[in-house]
Amino acid sequence: MNSGTGTYFDGVTSARHEAVVELTPAALKISGPDGHLWGEWPYNEIEELAAPDSMLRLGRLGSPTLERLEIRDPAFAKEIDALAIHVDRTGLLQRRQRMRVIGWTFAATASLVLVAWFGLPAIAARLAPILPATVERRLGDVVDLQLRGMFDTGKDGAPFECGTAGAETAGRAALDKLMHRLEAAATLPIPLRTSVARRDEANAIALPGGRIYVFRGLIDKADNADQIAGAIAHEIGHVANRDGTKAMLEGAGLSFLFGMLLGDFVGGGAVVLAAKNVLQSSYSREAEAAADTYGTELMNRAGGDGRALGVILEKTGGATEPGMTILMDHPETKARIASINRLAAARPSVPFLEASEWAALKQICAGS
Amino acid sequence: MTMASFDAGGIATSGGVRFLGQRRSYWRLLIRGAALLTVTLGIYRFWLVTDIRRFLWSNTEIAGEALEYTGTALELLLGFLIAIALLIPVYTAFFLAALDLGVLGQLSGLIAFAALAVLGQYAIYRARRYRLTRTVYRGLRFHQKGSAWAYAFRAIAWWIVTVLSFGLAYPFQLASLERYKMKNTFYGDLAGRFEASGFVLLLRGLPMWVLFFAPLALAVRVLVGLDWQALLDALAQGGDDVMGKIEGGNPGLGSAIVFAMLMGGISITLGALLYPAFQTLILRWWSSGLRFGDLEMRSRLLLRHVYGAYARFIGYAGLFGLAIAIAGTVALLLTDALAGSDASGQIATTLVLLIGYVITVLGISTIYRATVLFSLWQLGMESLQLSGLSALEKVKASGRPSSAFGEGLADALNVGSY
Repeated sequence: MNSGTGTYFDGVTSARHEAVVELTPAALKISGPDGHLWGEWPYNEIEELAAPDSMLRLGRLGSPTLERLEIRDPAFAKEIDALAIHVDRTGLLQRRQRMRVIGWTFAATASLVLVAWFGLPAIAARLAPILPATVERRLGDVVDLQLRGMFDTGKDGAPFECGTAGAETAGRAALDKLMHRLEAAATLPIPLRTSVARRDEANAIALPGGRIYVFRGLIDKADNADQIAGAIAHEIGHVANRDGTKAMLEGAGLSFLFGMLLGDFVGGGAVVLAAKNVLQSSYSREAEAAADTYGTELMNRAGGDGRALGVILEKTGGATEPGMTILMDHPETKARIASINRLAAARPSVPFLEASEWAALKQICAGS
Repeated sequence: MTMASFDAGGIATSGGVRFLGQRRSYWRLLIRGAALLTVTLGIYRFWLVTDIRRFLWSNTEIAGEALEYTGTALELLLGFLIAIALLIPVYTAFFLAALDLGVLGQLSGLIAFAALAVLGQYAIYRARRYRLTRTVYRGLRFHQKGSAWAYAFRAIAWWIVTVLSFGLAYPFQLASLERYKMKNTFYGDLAGRFEASGFVLLLRGLPMWVLFFAPLALAVRVLVGLDWQALLDALAQGGDDVMGKIEGGNPGLGSAIVFAMLMGGISITLGALLYPAFQTLILRWWSSGLRFGDLEMRSRLLLRHVYGAYARFIGYAGLFGLAIAIAGTVALLLTDALAGSDASGQIATTLVLLIGYVITVLGISTIYRATVLFSLWQLGMESLQLSGLSALEKVKASGRPSSAFGEGLADALNVGSY
């Protein structure tokens, strides 16, 4: 059989034409029952189009119109399949194409993950140091606003920052003295703004732009001023390394990268957040180790007790940052303490505060 | 050519529209797609969406001729990349505005929300244009005119009215937006229009509206009746006996809160139970209003069929949920036993939870597509009764294919559909 019937649409009007289809050696010939020639399609210009299983739908590659030929006779469709180069009803051609697509999307996925893992931290690390101090300070102020919204419960009507009421000023003076010695040793290009926050957690945090909060709970846990100085020195390390700024840049990059590219199909948000947490905790593990090193060396330079940071870490179980115990932001506390003790200078140290000053610092949140 | 010559396909009995798709092939397509979505972090979605559309279009037969979807995944990918390129400066501007400490920073969230809402409607209209120009029937394509911005602002204005009227304006919103879309929709040179009335939909939907809002209204009435001033005073004073003071100022507080929660629960339950009926009502009303020249449509969609589709969804989703719960427990126990409780163990647990979450969400969405969405398409199409089919006989080609930018934008803004 080298001819059959089909339905032809000329792509100019919607009229349906019953057609006689002839398979000549070079082309597929479509003509009307009256002998009118509708078209002659060379076998290498025929494409197969989306159609129900019961039908073979053909179009002509490069045709200016959407002319279509529909074949419903399976045996005849098979004959055309054998002749037309780009038609493959077994689906082999399509499967091969699909495998190529899958290969490419795999490659794209891998590159995306690599960018998130290595590229973003690298970009953030290079971008953060060249950000002007004013911009960084501004970032810090925004974070500060959010942080106060989250942490400042306004309980008892007392201000978030301790050290303002009458009975607290002596504690504030002690903190200033401690900070003066640390800042003199650190010689940072930007001024630090350190205060004690009225919170019960044993925590300290550094924001971009040089703002540092020591939570009251940490002072309650500490045995002496050097331990507080050690914790603050660790936070100064974050400021000097611009970790807060880097984390913000990384966060923005990550939520953009995954939030947009992942699309809605997976149901979005939660996956992005979780991925972000996993990725960011791996960034901050390195950042914590670097801040430990910086903090210990700063304590050495300031003539304080380099091991004090290790002691306070042990007391708080390594949790110096909020919300990080779940994902282990910090490397194992024991390993951290060991490396701090390796770095700490062996010479005798001068305490940061007199006993009376330390007692005052302990009362910095006592209220009026 | 007359209708008689292809009546053999059973067209006369089904009102001119048939759906030939096998549910099993659709399942296969979706499951393979879901697996590939997981491992490609969703990049595969352009190919999956294209496959889904090719399947649904090809298997829909109107007056004996199957529709054809000519769009390609590469077009969608390109449209998405262009949309991303456009959105980067927009998002950067939002990010910078959020850093502002003044009024701009305070309002930045609101501004971003408003801008993205308008952009989302714009994208919906442009995406519809792409889908129409990739829909071919009898060798001619559909196309869409009109301005996407005009549509976007019209849609946003209507949404505001609808929200302010507690949904009572929704029928008029649907009718107005659909009129705009359809009067700009063409099959070749055959113009479409929309003739269903918003008022009719309002009347039919009113009982459901009352059932949903009446419990809420009762709850609000009881809550408003409370002595709020006394309540706030008691809270502001604080102290050890806050609860006692609150009770003193408002003797009926406890029962009022219980009543309000009960009413809220009733409202949500009724809403969930009525949702399929609501969907049926809208679908029937909408498809009965579609016109192309002399071609008219009438939908005879049956309520029990739609409820059947939802019942199937709940059944499959329940089984799937059970399987996931068992597999998840086993996986967590195994991780616990193998990795221990140190840092690496915690990371492994997090990973197991993350993977479980992705599989659950993708699984439920796949089941939803294969049950509810598949049935709605099939039932919606097969319940159509067409008249004036001769209008389709002498249409001339018109319109050009549009870019997939709108689809990309809709995708990036998460307002896309299939």
